[in-house]
Amino acid sequence: MTRWHAGLREAAIIALSASVFGFVYTGIMRKGLFAEGYSQESAVSRPGSPSTIIHVDEARELYESGRALFIDARHPFEFAMGHIPNAINIPLGEFEKRESQIDSLPRDKVLVTYCDGVQCNSSIGLAARLREAGFQNVQIFFGGWNEWQARNLPITKSMQ
Amino acid sequence: MERVAGKKPSDNEVDAMIRILSNEYNLLTARVFLGVLFVVISIDKIADPAAFARSISDYRIVTGTPAMVLATVLPWVELLCGLALAFGILLRGSSLLIGSLLIVFTFAVASALLRDLDISCGCFTQAPSADRIGWLKIGENIVLLALAAYLFFSRNHRFSLDEYVRSFPPRS
Repeated sequence: MTRWHAGLREAAIIALSASVFGFVYTGIMRKGLFAEGYSQESAVSRPGSPSTIIHVDEARELYESGRALFIDARHPFEFAMGHIPNAINIPLGEFEKRESQIDSLPRDKVLVTYCDGVQCNSSIGLAARLREAGFQNVQIFFGGWNEWQARNLPITKSMQ
Repeated sequence: MERVAGKKPSDNEVDAMIRILSNEYNLLTARVFLGVLFVVISIDKIADPAAFARSISDYRIVTGTPAMVLATVLPWVELLCGLALAFGILLRGSSLLIGSLLIVFTFAVASALLRDLDISCGCFTQAPSADRIGWLKIGENIVLLALAAYLFFSRNHRFSLDEYVRSFPPRS
């Protein structure tokens, strides 16, 4: 078993030095974690996509006013398990395949994308793609499904 | 001893196999290949940790600040392991670490494929359009994993710095 002992000890040495190098390097070069203006938001938003992120209260307001169309970026199965009422499902991975559906989306409504919540970013990706497709008014409900449910807001299930 | 016929390899064949696998030149080739590969793939990620963090976030397993921390450390693990393998120091540790990383990467890619995520691998380059993930990636990883396991379990490491240091007789 000495092979494993030696391996684990050496692996720990390498991993430890890598952490030191990584933090010192990014610290000196002002990259990554130490980059100017680094925040939670900059870690998830892609450059070149001006994304309006809305809070659950704004999402609720938009929902109640009927001015918005909610677009669920999650997997169809998760969508079927429960979603925001009147939302439509466009999984990010199927964006290309859904061309005709995307063309038929209303242009006079606010499009609000969402996915599970802060642990996912397909809502951001979907919003960027929709903007590329020419939709001007796209917003991201970043708190997503988790926050919506936590507030006990209305939901729809399409699962039997 | 009488062997039962069939497809079982004979002792001679096993011996030949062991001889090939423990051939010092084969080991050297495998070691340098894997080492240089990991050094090369680490460079892009070290240069732009933010882009690598976005690649990691795309997998939707770790996102936000934890992804950024991973993006800070992981490329350096790859670089140090690559250098260690190529030069022949800390061979057990570097092959073990590379093997473990490959296992984690493989699971990440497989889970992303099963979740229908159409994302770029972030393995070699951070350009979003290049190097989309696919089942081929998993095959690729398994080949590299086999190489890492081969290095981890082999005994003979001639031409390595470790071996060179050990070759000096101990002073009394």
